[in-house]
Amino acid sequence: MKNLLYKEFHLAIHPLFYLILLFGALLLIPQWIFFLAMMYFFFILVPNVFTMGKAQNDIMFSVLLPVPKRDVVKARVMSIVLLEVLQIVVAAIFGVIHMRVYSVKNFLMDPNFAFFGFTFMMYALFNIVFFPMFYKTADKVGIPTIVANIVAILFASAVEFGVLLVPALKELDGMWNVGAQLWILAGGIVLFVLANIAAYRISARRFERVDL
Amino acid sequence: MSLLTVEGLHKHYPAFHLDDVSFTLEPGYIIGFIGANGAGKTTTLKCILNLVQKDAGKVAVLGRDFTQNEMSLKQEIGYMFGGVDYYAKTRISKITDVARRFYANWDDELYRGFMKRFSLDEDKKVAELSSGMRIKYSLTLALSHRARLLLLDEPTSGLDPVARDDLLELFQELIEDGERSILFSTHITSDLEKCADYITYIQNGRIIESRTKDDLIAAYRLVKGTQDQLPGVAGRLIAQKTHAFGFTGLMKTENLTKDSGLTVEAPTLEEIMIYHAKKEADYEKPAV
Repeated sequence: MKNLLYKEFHLAIHPLFYLILLFGALLLIPQWIFFLAMMYFFFILVPNVFTMGKAQNDIMFSVLLPVPKRDVVKARVMSIVLLEVLQIVVAAIFGVIHMRVYSVKNFLMDPNFAFFGFTFMMYALFNIVFFPMFYKTADKVGIPTIVANIVAILFASAVEFGVLLVPALKELDGMWNVGAQLWILAGGIVLFVLANIAAYRISARRFERVDL
Repeated sequence: MSLLTVEGLHKHYPAFHLDDVSFTLEPGYIIGFIGANGAGKTTTLKCILNLVQKDAGKVAVLGRDFTQNEMSLKQEIGYMFGGVDYYAKTRISKITDVARRFYANWDDELYRGFMKRFSLDEDKKVAELSSGMRIKYSLTLALSHRARLLLLDEPTSGLDPVARDDLLELFQELIEDGERSILFSTHITSDLEKCADYITYIQNGRIIESRTKDDLIAAYRLVKGTQDQLPGVAGRLIAQKTHAFGFTGLMKTENLTKDSGLTVEAPTLEEIMIYHAKKEADYEKPAV
């Protein structure tokens, strides 16, 4: 697995894509929809990594190596998950700066603990939809990207409107109820882990049935 | 012990059916896998490597079941599906740096030796290599991890005659020590006349013949005669072509009788392939 991850980061994922992580800096924009900053990851990075893989015949190269077919899926899921975590870490740094520097509360959700908890959930949803759909064919990137994006956007919109309009959820905004926010963060992380395990298992099973 | 045993391979596609494909390959030999385009050569190779899920059948490499020992057996196999067609814009050195990590038996010295011998420049990108060079790079990767079984899908297609001859000589050299074997699929049968020991002939997903090249050629005879002689032998011919002066047809040697002033010649592999294909085409032609 170590070797396959080496392949992912040295051959498959172009270093230019690491710059996408800097979209985390968009959290410094005052009065913005901060979920958008987190969405660039699957607007740009994910579809590009997979279409480039297709153009470079990455799957054929990988399955011909002495590795089980399912490990090819595992390495790709792991590398995307790792980049998602890094994206959250980078964004969190700017989130902290945001909360310290600006004294005016944002109209929509602030980049607080709950926000990052919901981001983990959004990535979890994206992954559980995207990976199994892609590995059903190991070829078609377009439809899985669109469907997974729609699911993630609907989720983020529901969170934004919920926090804005439902009085009980107001607690999750600002820094008013840090305890509740930490619960959301913990829940987000748990969901992220479980969804990724499930996404890998379903994808691997589907990929093993694909005739290359 | 056989290096490769394929037994009863089946694979159904909506429009194509790999039907009961079986053959074996002993160490130290070259087996030529021939058939027309779309006959099932690549599908068979992909089934062997589990790239395509087989519906039934067994594959054993070095006497061990391939599906159960895929990881360790892949270390012993070098493969090539039409040259390197992955990571075209990447430098060779970078691809090697990744590939070598996966092989326990990787030998850097051997790698350098082959790179030098084939005049391959590590700083070049795959896209900058000619087809022949790509094939040689593929072979270098396979040989540097001391693969004992080389599965090569159409390695000579697209090469000029000099490069082809060069490659065929290399194949001969590789099997000389009796350790390695090469299975190579091709539709350029003249390549096999030069270097193959065994021939497996596949047509429409079915194995028609699988035996030594000499036996195979000895089993068939090319028969030539006049129009008048044709009715007398037509029933025994596999297929025939008629022309203004008479006919030429392929017949099994066992069906040959001493009669009748027919001209009898040894066929080439290509002729065996063409007449078998013609038989199938005639059979499938709708009766009008």
